[in-house]
Amino acid sequence: MALLLRTLGRQSVCLSKPQYSVLYRHVAPMGSTAKEEMNKFWDKNSRLNRPMSPHVTIYKWSVPMMMSITHRGTGIGLSGAISAFAVAALVLPGSYPYYLDLIHSLSVGPFLTGLAKFGIAFPVSYHTYNGIRHLGWDMGKGFKIPEVYRTGYTVIGLSVITSIALLMI
Amino acid sequence: MAAIVRLSSVCRRGIKPLFYQSALLVRPLAVPHKHLEQPNLLTARIHSSQNLKASSTSKAASLHWTAERMLSVLLLAMGPVAYFNPGPVIDYSLAAALTLHGHWGLGQVLTDYVHGDAKIKMANAALFLLSTITFTGLCYFNYNDVGICKAVALLWSK
Repeated sequence: MALLLRTLGRQSVCLSKPQYSVLYRHVAPMGSTAKEEMNKFWDKNSRLNRPMSPHVTIYKWSVPMMMSITHRGTGIGLSGAISAFAVAALVLPGSYPYYLDLIHSLSVGPFLTGLAKFGIAFPVSYHTYNGIRHLGWDMGKGFKIPEVYRTGYTVIGLSVITSIALLMI
Repeated sequence: MAAIVRLSSVCRRGIKPLFYQSALLVRPLAVPHKHLEQPNLLTARIHSSQNLKASSTSKAASLHWTAERMLSVLLLAMGPVAYFNPGPVIDYSLAAALTLHGHWGLGQVLTDYVHGDAKIKMANAALFLLSTITFTGLCYFNYNDVGICKAVALLWSK
């Protein structure tokens, strides 16, 4: 009887807050935060003038890796383009339609026009679709390797199709 | 009776040793839930025991993370709205959402690649300046010129 009570008592203490998928109990506090640890790492290694170990130069590139850096690259590129546009709006004297007509009058030709449109449409499409993929990961979905590749190829395919479709408009 | 014996064999030594196995750092023991599929993130819930004083934890980073994702979803929703309902309201909303999304995104890039207290501070100050100028420029464009939605439409009619 005593055994039963003790066991049940331990069991109820063990399963604290089962609705959360993480169990914490009797934790020991960390001495420093992640930020402090990272700063310590960089301070020490830059002080000792240590070279960085080769990583992206030696590791075999994979599709997920390339897609990830492309997501970052398109993000930086798009952000830069928006900032450049904003600065231009503040600095340039004429109005937007004026400058648009100016570009029109250059008679660039359909191929280059299409190329420019693709140059805008593709980063936007890719970043958007891959962004949705990221949000899926943030919800905990799609981490299995086959899923990563499947969703990855879907993003690439959709981006290309959407960009070409936007060209036609 | 058999169940009680089995339970007692698991809990005989208590759960405490299991937790202390992985160093003395705060580490969650993730228990997979068979019947309850948790699509959400593992949120950290630290219960410190009486004799171990846990250092104060700030939720700032976690809240920032959530805000970033909410803004991303919002920005996604703004796309169709801008297409079907162009106008000044969506123009200014887009200006704000795009600038903030870019600001936070570039902030993460800086966090990844810039190291050293002084450099981090300078980089973040420069980013703040850039984002401020960007937002100002976009609002100026919305006010004094055709506005974002119309600009995209005009550009594409080329």
